[in-house]
Amino acid sequence: MKYAFFPGCVLHAAAKEALSSTLAVAEKLGMELVEIPGWSCCGASHVQDVDPEAALVANARNLALAENMGLPVVTACSTCALMLRQARATLLAGAMGRANARLAEIGLRFTGASEVVHFLWLLADASEQWTRKVERPLDHLRVAPFYGCHTVRPPEIMGYESHLNPQSLERIIRACGATPVAIPERLRCCGFHAVFPAEHTAMRMTASAVTSAARAGADCLLTPCPLCHMQLDMYQPDALSAACGETPVPVLHLVQLVGQALGLTAKTMGLGRHIVDARPVLKAAAGSCG
Amino acid sequence: MDTLTFLIDRFDGTDSWRQRYEIPYKPGMTVLACLIHIKERLDPTLNFTASCRSAICGACAVRVNGHALLACDTMVDNLLRIWGEGALGVSPLGNARVVSDLVVAWEEKVERLRLARPGLDAKPEFSAQKGCRQAPADMQAIARQWDCILCGSCASECNKLTDSEKDFLEPFIFTHAARYAGDSRSAVPMRHVEAMLEHGLWKCVHCMECVTKCPKHIRPGEDIAAMRHMAVEAGHTDGPGPRHAEAFRTDLGATGRLNEVKLVPRTEGLVSAATKHLPFTLRMFAKGKLGVVEAARLFMADNPPVENIDGLRKVLAAERSPS
Ligand code: FES
Repeated sequence: MKYAFFPGCVLHAAAKEALSSTLAVAEKLGMELVEIPGWSCCGASHVQDVDPEAALVANARNLALAENMGLPVVTACSTCALMLRQARATLLAGAMGRANARLAEIGLRFTGASEVVHFLWLLADASEQWTRKVERPLDHLRVAPFYGCHTVRPPEIMGYESHLNPQSLERIIRACGATPVAIPERLRCCGFHAVFPAEHTAMRMTASAVTSAARAGADCLLTPCPLCHMQLDMYQPDALSAACGETPVPVLHLVQLVGQALGLTAKTMGLGRHIVDARPVLKAAAGSCG
Repeated sequence: MDTLTFLIDRFDGTDSWRQRYEIPYKPGMTVLACLIHIKERLDPTLNFTASCRSAICGACAVRVNGHALLACDTMVDNLLRIWGEGALGVSPLGNARVVSDLVVAWEEKVERLRLARPGLDAKPEFSAQKGCRQAPADMQAIARQWDCILCGSCASECNKLTDSEKDFLEPFIFTHAARYAGDSRSAVPMRHVEAMLEHGLWKCVHCMECVTKCPKHIRPGEDIAAMRHMAVEAGHTDGPGPRHAEAFRTDLGATGRLNEVKLVPRTEGLVSAATKHLPFTLRMFAKGKLGVVEAARLFMADNPPVENIDGLRKVLAAERSPS
């Protein structure tokens, strides 16, 4: 299956390891991801606060570019997925005319032909197939799934699975041979989008997820959102210092867990790029980490 | 399945405990029907509130397995489909003071609601004689917000409120402010926006719980965004919230992509970026999250523009030029 790939800004910046892992996992599974030429920032759930029309039109343009490729869109970032799906719903509900009037100036047109899906959903849907390709079952790895708000909410826009009790991450964790560990923060917020205006709140949210994972005996946290990953990993030392020296917990991108099970190398997955090193727990779980 | 099991959080003013109740299963029962069955047949001491049984009065909101819902408007069969046939946990709304069992206090929430300055101060062209009419489209712009039934579901799982209610308000309060701020008849729309600016308008964490949990499909998160936009348009552009959002908008028009190196100084100022955030930055360099050369390039210059940047700039609002 071929997809128009919307990486989002972060996969080309602080989460380059998620980009290389996504591309390598897709290749292993026989999916072809073609980056949308000229894609722009999705607005990151911020632009609408200062210029809602710009946020809408930028995403109308992103979607029109993908439609020109004749492919459905896949993204590996939950906020990008929400922004693109929200814009698509708004456009189809009546904003299409005015957006297309703008797009016509540059020879583009949004029709709604391309659906937008999260890479998580593709992995979950195909888990029964790719579980047979697992080269390194992660038998001893205890993984605390952290969905990230925009992965499941609001359900009218995201809607892949129940927002009250999603199971896609658990299914994938089991398909990798690992064991899911439930923490109370499984469906809660990491704080990322308010890390500047509500810094203390964001840090306490981060500390709370990390602390719960440590107390539940999880070897690592797992998230399908690179923004949650930034918050939970990059800000973890700050969050934990405020929480008085709790145990650090490594945070894996979803694609790294799957990549690890499918036998990708640590280098391909950029495992050296994490603030809290995930390699020791992966090594302990599987004997080697490539 | 013959039996439904509920684990209900009880509170008698002093002690808290979790009590197990089993009732015969019948298809098509609402959560409220189950609570009424328990109270009438098993335990008259169980307290909860409900009145209309039609999703209108807002009295019956409770949490099931940690999620707010209207008991009268929720079929148990749907919940069993989501969580399987085990016991359902019922507890009072979150982010609220519990009075007794499933009953929460509203006095303080109503006091906080006053902060939105709810009430319409009509434009001078309106009068008791001429009335205060508005066009259907203008009414539609705030019709959704008027559907609020004050059930408290939007606040129950609000992640910001759970962390602290000192610098934030219940999402429905923002919705109430927005319905006056967005009313075409109002003489003082900014009165409500400015009141919300003082009470955490920029502190929403975008968790989408309010949008998700509102049984009336109101979207308090969007009301917050709309009032932020009104605030910025009216010149309230200072502070990390507006500066952060503006940085994303600037990058969108400049190169099409976020410049992560300039984001912190643009949001918090150069001094803070160079001092408070120094350990963070060094950590990023040490782990190769960010290359030193790359960072210097992004700081001095910018990302290379996306393919067809001129087209992107053209379709973004004409009146704003990239900085
Ligand atoms: S009883 Fe009135 S809303 Fe449920």
